Amino acid sequence: MENSEQIFVESSESQCGRWNPNSILGGVFSILALCFLYYVVPTHIELPYHMQHPLLSPQFLPQLAGWMVLVLSLLLMIDGLLKPPKREAADEYRRGVPVLRQVLMLVAGILYAVFFEQLGAIGSGVLATALLFLASGLRSVWVYALVIVFPVVVTLLFIHVLNVPLPAGTLWESLSLI
Amino acid sequence: MENFSEVMALFLSVDNFLAIAAGVLVGVVVGAIPGLTATMAVALALPFTFSMEPVTAILLLVGIYKGGMYGGSITAILIRTPGSPASACTLLDGYPMAQQGNAKKALKTALYSSVVADMISNLALIFFASYLAKIALNFGPPEYFWLICFSLTIIVSVSGSSVIKGLIAASLGIILSTVGLDAVYGTQRLTFDNYNLMDRISFIPLLIGLFAIPEIIDFYMTRVAPHVRTAVAGASLSWKEFKGMLKTVVRGSFIGVIIGAIPGTGATTAAFISYSEAKRTSPRKDNFGKGEPEGVAAAEAGNNGVAGATLIPLLSLGIPGDVITAIILGAFMIHGLTPGPVLFQENLTLVYALFCGIMISSFVLVFVGNAAIRYFSIIADIPKTILLPIVLMFCIYGAYAVNNSTFDIGLMLAFGVLGFVFNRTGMAAAPFLIGFILGPMFEDNLRRTMLISKGDLSIFFRGPITWVFVLLTVASLAFAIRRYWVTRKEEALA
Repeated sequence: MENSEQIFVESSESQCGRWNPNSILGGVFSILALCFLYYVVPTHIELPYHMQHPLLSPQFLPQLAGWMVLVLSLLLMIDGLLKPPKREAADEYRRGVPVLRQVLMLVAGILYAVFFEQLGAIGSGVLATALLFLASGLRSVWVYALVIVFPVVVTLLFIHVLNVPLPAGTLWESLSLI
Repeated sequence: MENFSEVMALFLSVDNFLAIAAGVLVGVVVGAIPGLTATMAVALALPFTFSMEPVTAILLLVGIYKGGMYGGSITAILIRTPGSPASACTLLDGYPMAQQGNAKKALKTALYSSVVADMISNLALIFFASYLAKIALNFGPPEYFWLICFSLTIIVSVSGSSVIKGLIAASLGIILSTVGLDAVYGTQRLTFDNYNLMDRISFIPLLIGLFAIPEIIDFYMTRVAPHVRTAVAGASLSWKEFKGMLKTVVRGSFIGVIIGAIPGTGATTAAFISYSEAKRTSPRKDNFGKGEPEGVAAAEAGNNGVAGATLIPLLSLGIPGDVITAIILGAFMIHGLTPGPVLFQENLTLVYALFCGIMISSFVLVFVGNAAIRYFSIIADIPKTILLPIVLMFCIYGAYAVNNSTFDIGLMLAFGVLGFVFNRTGMAAAPFLIGFILGPMFEDNLRRTMLISKGDLSIFFRGPITWVFVLLTVASLAFAIRRYWVTRKEEALA
């Protein structure tokens, strides 16, 4: 619904095989639902010593939702096996994407997730933005000037205008102490 | 009189006017950029509201919502890419008009129809929300339990192409909503002994992860699609021409208001009903679908008539009518407010200050919309290669700002991957969010009811209000099942 980027592409629609997104998704969710119901719920939801009614149990809603996932996933799997869906026109754009483009995006994500506090908001912003610009194959020098401008401006906006504190970077702090 | 002066004191601040103007502007700009959506903009703007006053914060988000609705129509008309599903109907006549060299007329028709519909919708909100809230004061936990059951049926309408996948997504949302300490017994639920999860999963990282990150991942996992450019050309819309369409616009607005007030039916349904009604009654019905301005007016009136009306169930009952109002509900909670009848009792001044701001936002839309028509090519030509890394930066900073924790960044990225998988497998993220929001409300009211009745289940059918909601829930489910079978049959025939 939200993926409105899809441009209307003229292409012939073809049918998927038996192992299509629906049957695979249904199968995967069925297994996950079984694990959830028979392992995760009993071991990771603590029950109180005394309970007035089973409907008050902390396990009730997770179990109800887990069973719904299981039943619906099985239905989805059967539906996928019996009636494979049509291949999407947008699939065409998903083939032949350079690996480097995807790897650089992944590295940028990891950089933010793991080194945000060490490098600080500006440091991680500069590095990740540079990686993402490289991933898009941008060549112009003035564009790379934005790599520094944007993180600095956005960080200052958060800290001084919106009063939201962001990390300065523990790495730089320890380096300055040395 | 005392209340009036309190409302004015709360509303008449520079911050509120700036928030409305900025909100509408951001909404229109984001909506007009192909690939970015109003939902994404509202989700991204949420962390910005932390330090704002509640009225200012909500007005900013409402402004983005309204601006985004119109912005989505710009791309539908000019490049045949609807910015939101509701704009898909505008495309039917808007794009042919643009192809015929009447893009400017189509955009102006869409703008003025949107503004008129928006005003009618706002008036409906002001008149009906307080009455509904008064009725809702008589609701107890059993009534609320059934109301939430009825609201959960909205999942079907936001499920996209597959109801089964939508229901799976909603169930997953419900499961994740139970993470944290149990509200009644205080025992741990699905926390895996991680203290970051004790206080439930943070709403903002989930929201940004589901609605902003997947677009970014998708961009880097896809070959770049060809950029489509269309100039805003042709004659403008005259007052005489618009006057001729006014009947259609008003009718469409009322259709939008009625549909918007029912949780889950949504702007898309309203736009298509308004369009088909205009086509049925128009003397130029043969021209519909070939570039008929009245078609654009009808679609936009239906679409925007929903905007104010979806806030009726949100403000008076605390029930989100669609995805964006679900995000706005989250914004209320972040600012320590709970929408519903109690809001009208305890924060009436705030509610009326909001109403004032919402009315003003319609006027702001006229100016911003006209500017967007003039400068559309500049907005639409911002390369995504530059834009998306900045959007990612906003996502990361916004997620971190919630608890000053990198855990939330990881959580947001994890939800981003989940949202990306959802997109690729045809699962909609909206039911997941609705499940996540309504899950705890469902459980809370179920448990309160059981505690009041000491386990007696007959309390669930204790009076006419409960029965009304039971019937509404059953009817909504029956309608959904019927729609499911009709769609299946149509697919089989195709």
